Amino acid sequence: MQAAKKRTVRYDNSAYLMILPSYLVFVTMVLVPIIWTAYLSFTDYDLKNMTWIGFQNYVNIFQDKLFIASIGHTVYYTALTLVPTIVLSLLLAVALNRKIRGQGVFRTLFYLPHILSMVAVSLSWGYLYNAQAGIINRFLGLFGIAKVGWLTDPGVAMISVAIMSVWGSLGYNSLLFLAGLQNIPGYLYEAAEIDGATKVQQFFRITIPQLRPTTFYIFIMCCIHSFEVFGQVFILTGGGPSDATTTIAHQVYRNGFEYYRMGYASAEAVVLLVIILTITVINYRYGGNGND
Amino acid sequence: MTKQKRSNVLFFVFMCLILVFYLIPVFFQVVTAFKTDREITLLGFRWLPASLNFDSYVNAWKMANWPQAFLNSVVMTISVIVVCLSINLLAGYAFARLTFRGSDVLFIILLMGLMIPAQSIIIPQFIIVRSLGLYDTIWGSAICYLSAPMGVFLAKQFYLTFPRELDEAAALDGCSKFGTYMRVYLPLSTTIIATLTITKGTQVWNDFFYPLIMTTSQRNNTLQLCLQLFKGSSTTHFNWLMAAATATSLPMVILYFSAQKYFVEGLQTTGMKN
Repeated sequence: MQAAKKRTVRYDNSAYLMILPSYLVFVTMVLVPIIWTAYLSFTDYDLKNMTWIGFQNYVNIFQDKLFIASIGHTVYYTALTLVPTIVLSLLLAVALNRKIRGQGVFRTLFYLPHILSMVAVSLSWGYLYNAQAGIINRFLGLFGIAKVGWLTDPGVAMISVAIMSVWGSLGYNSLLFLAGLQNIPGYLYEAAEIDGATKVQQFFRITIPQLRPTTFYIFIMCCIHSFEVFGQVFILTGGGPSDATTTIAHQVYRNGFEYYRMGYASAEAVVLLVIILTITVINYRYGGNGND
Repeated sequence: MTKQKRSNVLFFVFMCLILVFYLIPVFFQVVTAFKTDREITLLGFRWLPASLNFDSYVNAWKMANWPQAFLNSVVMTISVIVVCLSINLLAGYAFARLTFRGSDVLFIILLMGLMIPAQSIIIPQFIIVRSLGLYDTIWGSAICYLSAPMGVFLAKQFYLTFPRELDEAAALDGCSKFGTYMRVYLPLSTTIIATLTITKGTQVWNDFFYPLIMTTSQRNNTLQLCLQLFKGSSTTHFNWLMAAATATSLPMVILYFSAQKYFVEGLQTTGMKN
């Protein structure tokens, strides 16, 4: 087929040389490790001896109560963070889009948590949440409210982790929404104004539909980030209390780098990868019509 | 008119309150660092410390080798930025301007790399780093950061906005494609260089996951890992912890306030990628 048609396009083979360094790194550090992880998931490997054991790891992880629980925790965490993040960051973006004095300063300060490291933020929140010495319980104590085990009560700990995550990602996501808001043509609002639409109507009839691509993008990225949650859990709770906050990524870390069960951890990593890729595929399927 | 003005003032006050509430965690981090060991153990709630006391900073300073960790982070971050920028910009140019077989497919495969969570490829990465003899060095983490599909993508988007006439003019002057990139495109790349430096720099500087996996000895700790380990060594001294958290955040915060325009623009464009 290629020979049948004489192309006039000139191919630049030097392009391959130019993309080579980036691609080489990408292939060795990402693509090969994906296949390698899949391969390792069929083995029993402790960094010294490797035995091929077929699907045994997969059989085992799905009988591992802790791993099953960690999937549940990850889904729970995602459910806790997703909607608050999107709703709050949208509202914040709308507020930051309104012309007021010091608009730039507001944006800068709301954005601040995004540049702080996960470790610093988690340390800081760890103190706020501390049951005995923590600021939150001391503050609640002023009103005679009993101490809450923010990080020590298994029923509460994941909520605490989620609150911190929402806090940390709010500024960033609202900036993304802000960019979306600024792309909405002003005449839409002017027309609505002439037709006598109220601000609230304008928000629901113009802003929300126009922001659909942005919202979808943020939705997908939040989903993906939630499913790979590790740092917050590792630092804030260490997966505890009594494993109530251990997540898929945390299990991968623990089995791989604390117990050196590399094959087992690889099988868990594959499960994580499949979940993320499924979300991505759904993105391409249903989010394809919105561009930008 | 006055009604409009009043609603603006009310809105301003409202936003101030929201902002104050939002930054409360940061506020307490900063003020707690000034509290003395005794104040920390006192029960009850206080907004402010009794005095500006720097003991926590002094104590936290003694507990770990911060200068070494800081130096490690600086060296690692700068090296990653330099290598990433030099290879990503070139690839971005090739994808934006040159015609070659399979360019679309190659580009899409690269983009899929954005969706791969670090934890799902960390085990082979660890094995690779070990077999390269880079285990327990900052370079072990560094080579894992080098794969940067986002950098290639942003560079491509950036170069797509350049007028085609630039290439034609350069070709007439006898420039090769690579020469065109070096003499025409690269000198006009200040914006994208700033953007990528900041996005990649923030990511690498703030990351603790790779150093956690790839290093063990204290002298190879990065700042974030050092901070995380410090948490283990002084669990009850929240004032020391807050001092360490504040001090280690300071370089980035200063950078942020002095180059906020680039931060905001840069991270906004990173988000708007699809």
